[in-house]
Amino acid sequence: MIVIRSARVRRALKIVLPFIVIPAVVAFGVFAVRGKHHLFVSTAVALLSLALFLCGFEKRKIGSRRAVLVSVMIALSVLGRMFPVIKPVTVFAMLSGMFLGPEAGFLVGAFSALISNFWAGQGPWTPFQMLAWGLIGFFAGVLASPLKRSRFLLYAYGVIAAVAFSMVMDVWSAIWLAGAFSLDVYLAKMLTSVPHTLLYAVSNVIFLICFAKPFSEKLERIRIKYGI
Amino acid sequence: MERFNPIVVFMYFALTSGIAMLCMNPIMQTIALVGAALLFLIRRAGRRGGHLPMLAFALLACVINPIFSHNGATVLFFVNGNPFTLEAVIYGAVCGVMLLAMLYWFRSFSALMTSDKILYLLGRISPKIALTVSMALRYVPLFSAQMRKTAQAQRAMGAIRADDSLSRIRGGARVFSVTLTWALENGIVTADAMEARGYGEGRRTSFAIYRFHRRDAALTAVILLLGGGIYYGVFGGFAAYQYYPIVTVRQDTAALLTYGAYALLTALPSTIEAGEIIRWKYLQSKI
Repeated sequence: MIVIRSARVRRALKIVLPFIVIPAVVAFGVFAVRGKHHLFVSTAVALLSLALFLCGFEKRKIGSRRAVLVSVMIALSVLGRMFPVIKPVTVFAMLSGMFLGPEAGFLVGAFSALISNFWAGQGPWTPFQMLAWGLIGFFAGVLASPLKRSRFLLYAYGVIAAVAFSMVMDVWSAIWLAGAFSLDVYLAKMLTSVPHTLLYAVSNVIFLICFAKPFSEKLERIRIKYGI
Repeated sequence: MERFNPIVVFMYFALTSGIAMLCMNPIMQTIALVGAALLFLIRRAGRRGGHLPMLAFALLACVINPIFSHNGATVLFFVNGNPFTLEAVIYGAVCGVMLLAMLYWFRSFSALMTSDKILYLLGRISPKIALTVSMALRYVPLFSAQMRKTAQAQRAMGAIRADDSLSRIRGGARVFSVTLTWALENGIVTADAMEARGYGEGRRTSFAIYRFHRRDAALTAVILLLGGGIYYGVFGGFAAYQYYPIVTVRQDTAALLTYGAYALLTALPSTIEAGEIIRWKYLQSKI
C-alpha cells in the first residue's frame, strides 16, 4: 500500500515482479516444506500479474480522452453483464483492445470483472477473472491489425477467447474444489463445462457479428467529429 | 468494523485468508469456518440469506476428492475396483470447510469494503486507474438511465411494438446502439472538459475521508502480532498435519498455541462488531 510516485521505482518493479517475485512465489509453492500450496500460489501470482500490468499503465502517458473512453467501455460492459443470459465482457474487452490499444483492452477486461462483481458477488475468483479477461483484451490489442483486417480471424479469436477463459477458470475451480491442483479433477471439470463453453463461444461470435462493424463505425465517427 | 481504515480491514482479510490458503490443517480450517460464519451472522451481511449455493459448492468439494484420490489406509468400499477411503473423504470435507469459510469471508469482505473503499485502496497504488474506475462506477447508473430514456422515446414514437417480440429485440439492440454512440461522445466531451480544467498538468491532489486513527494503529498491532505468530507456527511446523496414509494432527502445546492464536484472530472482527452492538444498546437504554 505505498504510493508509487517515483518513475524509477515503477520501472524497477516492472523488472522485479515478472522475473524475480513471481518465479520466487511459484518456486516457494513447489519446494516449500509441505508442498501443495497451490491455492496460495495461484492467488498470489494472479494478484502480482495484475499489479504488474497496473504499474505499466501508470507509467505510460495515456491521453485523457483514451482514459475516459476506457471508463466508458468498462461501464458499458458492466451494464451488459447485468442482462440475464448474455455476458459481453469478452467482446467489449476485445474491441477496446483492438481500437484503443492493448493497455485499454487489459483495463476494460480486468475492471469490468471487478466492478460487475460488486453486483454479481466478489469471491476468491475475482483476481482470476480479472486476469483472464484482462489478458483477452490485451492480446486482442496486440493482434489488432490482423484482427481488423480479417473478419474470420476476429471470430476465431472470439472462440479461442471463450475457450481460454473457461480453461483458466477451470484451473481455478479445480484447485479450489480439490485443495490442490490435480490433472484428473481439472480434466473432469473441463469436460463438465463443455456445454457452457460452447454457449459462450457462440454468443461471443454472435456479439462480434453484431457489434464489430457498428462499433468501428462509431469510433470512426467520433474520430472524424472530434479529430483525434 | 466500518469505522476502521480500509487499509487495516484489507490487511486483516488478506492475512486471515492467506493462512487458510496455506495450511490445510483440519483444526485450523474449522476455526476459520467458525470465525467467518460468526462474523457473517453477526453482521447479517446480505439479509437475503443465500447460504444454499455456497453449501452446495462446499458439498461438491467433499464428494470430488474421494472420487479422484485413492490414497489412504482405511478403505470404506470399492467402486469399479478403485478404493474409496476414509482419509480421502476427510480431506474432501476439509476442502469443503475451507471453501465455505472463504465464501463467508468474502461475503463479509464485500459488505465491509464497499466500492468507495476499494477505490481508496486502488488510489494508493495507482491514482490514474482509480480515477478511470471511479468514472466507470459513475457511468454505470448514468448509462442505464440514458438507456431507459432512449427506450421510452422509442416506444412513444411507436418504433418498438410491445406485442411483437422480434420488434422488441431489434428495438433493444437499437437502444443499446444509440446509448453506445451517446456514451462515446459524452466521454469525449468529458475528457475535453477535464483537459480544459487542467487535468494532466502537474500532480493531482486527492481527498480521502479515511484517516489513520489511534484505534487503527491498535488493531494493526494486534493483527500483526497474532498473524506473525501464526505464520511462524505454520512455517515452523507446529501446526503439522497429514492426511495420507492416516490422518494425524499435532496436538501438543506449541500446536495448541498456534490454534489459539488463529482462533483469537478469526474472532477479532466478530468481537468488535458485538462490542459495537452492545455499546449501541447501552447508549440507547440511557436515553
